[in-house]
Amino acid sequence: MNYPKSTQGRLRTTTLTVLITALLVWPVLIGADVGAQRDPKVTCKVETDRGVLPANAPQKVVVKVTLGGAFPEDKSRRPPVNLAIVLDRSGSMTGEKLHNAKEAAIEALKRLSPRDVFSVVVYDHIVETVAPAQRARNLEEVASRIRRIQARGNTALFAGVSQGAAEIRKNLDGKYFHRIILLSDGLANVGPSTPEDLARLGAALLKEDISVTTVGVGTDYNEDLMAALAKRSDGNTYFVESANDLPRIFSAELGDVLSVVAKKAEVIIECPDGVKPLRIIGRDGRIRGRTAEVSLHQLYGKQEKHVFIEMEVSAEKSGKEMEIASARVSYVNPIDGKRAASLARARARFSDDRAEVDRSVNMSVQEDFAVNLSAVAQERAISLADKGKTDEAVEVLNRSADAMHNMGKIYNNKTLLERAQQIRKQAGQIAEEGMTRRQRKVLRTDSYQIQQQQAPR
Amino acid sequence: MTRRSIILYWLLLLLPTLAIATAALRLIGYEQERMDRQALSSAGDRAQAVAESIQIAVESVEDEIAQSLERIPPEKLVESLVGWEKSNPIIRNVFVWKPGIGLEYPAPGASATSEEARFITRYAALFSGRIPWRSAHVETTGRRPADVSRMEASAQPSRTVRETEQSNLVQSVRRLRVGQREREGSRAAAKKGGWIPWYVENRLHILGWVRRGGEVYGVELELMTLLSRLVAAFPEPETDGIVFSLTDGEGNILHQAGRALVEPARKPDIAVPLAPQLPHWQVVVFLGDHTGTLRQSGGFMILGSLLLAIFVAAILLGGGMLTWQAHRNMIDAARKTSFVSNVSHELKTPLTSIRMYAELLNEGRIKDAQKTRRYLEVIVAETNRLTRLVNNVLDFSRLEQGRMKYNIEDIDLTAYLPSILETHRLPIQEAGLALQMVLPGHPVTVSADRDALNQVLLNIIDNAVKYAAEGGELVVDLRMSDAVCELRLMDRGPGVPPAHRKSIFEKFHRVDDSLTTRKPGTGLGLSISRRMLRDLGGDLLYEPRDSGGSSFVLVFPQHLT
Repeated sequence: MNYPKSTQGRLRTTTLTVLITALLVWPVLIGADVGAQRDPKVTCKVETDRGVLPANAPQKVVVKVTLGGAFPEDKSRRPPVNLAIVLDRSGSMTGEKLHNAKEAAIEALKRLSPRDVFSVVVYDHIVETVAPAQRARNLEEVASRIRRIQARGNTALFAGVSQGAAEIRKNLDGKYFHRIILLSDGLANVGPSTPEDLARLGAALLKEDISVTTVGVGTDYNEDLMAALAKRSDGNTYFVESANDLPRIFSAELGDVLSVVAKKAEVIIECPDGVKPLRIIGRDGRIRGRTAEVSLHQLYGKQEKHVFIEMEVSAEKSGKEMEIASARVSYVNPIDGKRAASLARARARFSDDRAEVDRSVNMSVQEDFAVNLSAVAQERAISLADKGKTDEAVEVLNRSADAMHNMGKIYNNKTLLERAQQIRKQAGQIAEEGMTRRQRKVLRTDSYQIQQQQAPR
Repeated sequence: MTRRSIILYWLLLLLPTLAIATAALRLIGYEQERMDRQALSSAGDRAQAVAESIQIAVESVEDEIAQSLERIPPEKLVESLVGWEKSNPIIRNVFVWKPGIGLEYPAPGASATSEEARFITRYAALFSGRIPWRSAHVETTGRRPADVSRMEASAQPSRTVRETEQSNLVQSVRRLRVGQREREGSRAAAKKGGWIPWYVENRLHILGWVRRGGEVYGVELELMTLLSRLVAAFPEPETDGIVFSLTDGEGNILHQAGRALVEPARKPDIAVPLAPQLPHWQVVVFLGDHTGTLRQSGGFMILGSLLLAIFVAAILLGGGMLTWQAHRNMIDAARKTSFVSNVSHELKTPLTSIRMYAELLNEGRIKDAQKTRRYLEVIVAETNRLTRLVNNVLDFSRLEQGRMKYNIEDIDLTAYLPSILETHRLPIQEAGLALQMVLPGHPVTVSADRDALNQVLLNIIDNAVKYAAEGGELVVDLRMSDAVCELRLMDRGPGVPPAHRKSIFEKFHRVDDSLTTRKPGTGLGLSISRRMLRDLGGDLLYEPRDSGGSSFVLVFPQHLT
C-alpha cells in the first residue's frame, strides 16, 4: 500500500496508541467482566398455585415467592468468616460425645483459611474461652488446647453463647460472616434456659448479623430451645444421634457459611386492589393491609428459600388478567456490603372453564406448599403431645399425611407420596410408643429444616 | 537423777509446750476468722462494685436511649423507631401511644406480629390508659447519672481494679447505645419521660417512654441482650472458693462466675440489690460453706493446725527421747556402780583367802603336810576364781569393743566334757552337788573356741555352785538333734523367776532377790557366755527345769563331717 510518508507515520502512531490503550484497558475490562460474572446474585420469582383462576367467585390463592442465590464456584472470593465454636463440656458430655465434638471442632478449624477469624468457647456452669478471637493460623496449639478439654459440671448455655458472641464482636466491624456454632447435649440449667429467652437472644444477635447454628447431640437436649435459638438468629439446627455424625455436620455447616450470597434479605409482597394477604405460612412476618413483609436474613448459594402467603382474591370476571402480587427482595451483597434488590410479579387470568383452571395447576407451588403445611402440622403435633394429647397429635399428623397423599395421587407426584408415607410412619410410631424424646427431636428438626430450607445438601 | 526429777523435767517441757500450742491454736483461729471476715468484706466490696457498675451501665444505656428518643424528629417518629427495632439488639419493641386513641404503633389486631401481640398484652394496663405514665425511677430530663462522670473522671489509685472492672462492664453495655451521643449542653428542652420496670409472670421487662405533646412513645429494652452483655463482661472472682452470681427476682441464678457448684437451695452470703434499675435482681456472693464444697478460706486453719501439731509432736518426741536417754543413762550408771562394787567384792574375797593361807604358809608354822597341801589347794582354787573373774571382765571389755578373737577348732565334746568337769570337781563337791553326766556313746564334735567354751561352762557351773547348792545335783546332758547339738546343765535350785528369764542375759543384770544379794557377782557371766556362744554360731538359752530348778542349754551348730 502506498500511503504518503506522513500518513504512514500517523497510521503507525494511531495503531500503537490503540494497541497500548487496548493493552492497558483489556485487563480492566476482563476484570470487570469476571467481577460482574462472579458477584453473587439473588433471583426472585413469584408464582400462584394456579395460572388460571376460577372466575366470578372470591377465592383463596397461594402465592409462592422463591428466592434463589447463585454463588461463583471460585471460593477465593468468598468473604472471610468470623466463627465462634461454643462447646458444651458439662458432665453429660463425658466420653465419646465430647471426644467427637472436640475432633469435629478441630476439623472445622482446619477448613478455615488464614483470612478467617475464629474463637473457641467452652462452658459448663461457668464459661472459659479456650481460644480468643484470632486469625486461623497456627492451629496446632489451639487444637491441643481443645483436646485437653475435660467434661464436668452443669450447663450454662446462655453464658456460653453470650461469650461466643462477645468473641465474635471483637471483629464485628470487619467484613466477615459472623457465625456461632453451638454444640450441646443437655438441658440448660444455669442462667436463662427457656426457649423463649434463647429465642430473644437469637433475635438480638441477628440484629448484629450474628447467626447461631445449634447442634443437639443425643436425646437429652432441649430441642425447642436449640431450634428457637437457631431460628431467630437464622442459623441451622441439627439433631445428631450418633456423635460420629459431628464432623460431617460441622463441614456442612461451614460449607453453608462460606457460600452466603445475600444478607439481611427482606421480602415485601404487595398486592393490588382486590387481593388481600391472609397469612404467611411457616414463617414469622407481618401483614399490613395489602402488604406482607418477611425477613429472611441470609441466603446461601445454590439454595432456594420459599415464602408462602395465602391470599384472598375477590370475584373477577372471566377473561380478565391481572397482577396478583409483586415481590421485592432487598438484600445486602456480602462482598461489597451494598444493598441490592430484585423484583418479580405474578399475574393470573380468570376463567369460567374448570378444565382450564385444573390444567393450570403449578405443581412446584402445590408440592412445596403441601410440604410446608405438613411441617406446620408437625409443629402442631409436638405442642399437642406436650399437653399430653398424644391421640390428637397422631390425628393431626395422619390428617396431614392423608391430605398430602390425596394431592400426590391427584397430581401423580412421587415426592408428595413419599412424604405422606414418611409422616404416616411418624404418626404410627407416636401412636405406638408415644412422643419419645427422639421422635420429638426428629419432628422438630424436620419441620425446622423444611420451613427454613436450611438443611445442608 | 531420780525418777521424780525426770517427771519434773518432763512436765517442765510438756506444760509450756501445751500452753504455747493452745495459744497458737487460738491465734490461728483468730487469724482465720479475721481472714474470713476480710474475705467476706472484700467479696462484699466487689459485689457492691459489680452491682454499682451494672446499675451505672443500665442507667447510662437508659439515659442515652432516652436522649436519642427525645431527639427523634416528630415527622419521622415511627420510621425511626422501627429502624431502631430492626437494627438495635437492645431494643425489643417500640411503641407510639396517643391519649384517647391508644396505641398507634404497633397497631393492635391482625397485622401485629406475634411478638408485638405479646408486647401489647404485656403492657395492656398502660396502653389502655388504666395506669398513668409515671416514671418508676430515672427521670431522663437532662440528668446524666452522676456516677458515670465521676467514674470516668476520677482516678483514685486504690480503686483502679474496681474501676477497670466497672468500666469493662459499663463499656460492654454502653456500646448498645442508640445513635450519636449529644454534647452536654445541647440537651435543653425538658420533656417528660422515664423508665418503668414491669413485672409480668415473674419476669422483668423494662419500658422507656418519652412524652411529647400529648403523644407518648418509647421502647422496650431487650433484657436478654443486656444480660448477655453483662454475662460476657462479668468479672471472675480472684479466689476459687467464692462464687459471684447475678440472680433474678425468684433467686434463680442468671449468671455465675466462680468454679464451685452452688446447691440450688443455698442462700447467698452477701446480696446486693440492683434496684431501682433492675428491681429484685441482685448480685450475690456465695462463700465457702462448712461442708467443704465451697470452702477455701479454712485452708489457713488446717495448714496452721497441721504445722502446730508437727511442732508440738517434734518437741514432745525430742523431749521424750532425751528423757528416755537420761533414764537409760541413769540405769547404766547405777549398774556400773553396783558392778564396780561387785567386782571389788569378788576380787577381795579370793584375795583375802589367798593372803591368809599364803601368810600361814609363809610363817612356816604349819607343819602338817596334809594341811599344807589343803591350804595350797585353796590358794590355787581362789586364784582360779580370780583368773576367771579377771577373764570375765577382760572378755566383757573385748566383747564390748568388738575385739574378741576366737581360736576355732574341732572339739569332741564327749572327750572334752569329762576333762573340763574334772578340773572343777572340787568346788562342785564342796558345794555338795552330785555331778551326773549323760553322754552319748559316740563322739560329738563341734567347732568352738576352747577358752571360750571353758569360760561359758565355768560361768554356768559357778552359778550352780553359788545359787543351787541346796538342790544337791548338777546334771550335764549332751544330746544330738537333727540340726543342732544341745548341752544341758541342769540343777535343782530355785530357778529363775519368770520376770527375769529374758533379762538374766543382759549385761550387769542380776536377779535382785534375797538369794543373790547375799552372793557376790558381777552380773556379767551369763551375758558374756551368750554373746560368745552366739559369736560361735550357737546360743545360750534358759529353760525352767521340770519339777524345779534351772536348765541352761548350750546350743552348738551341728558339725558337718
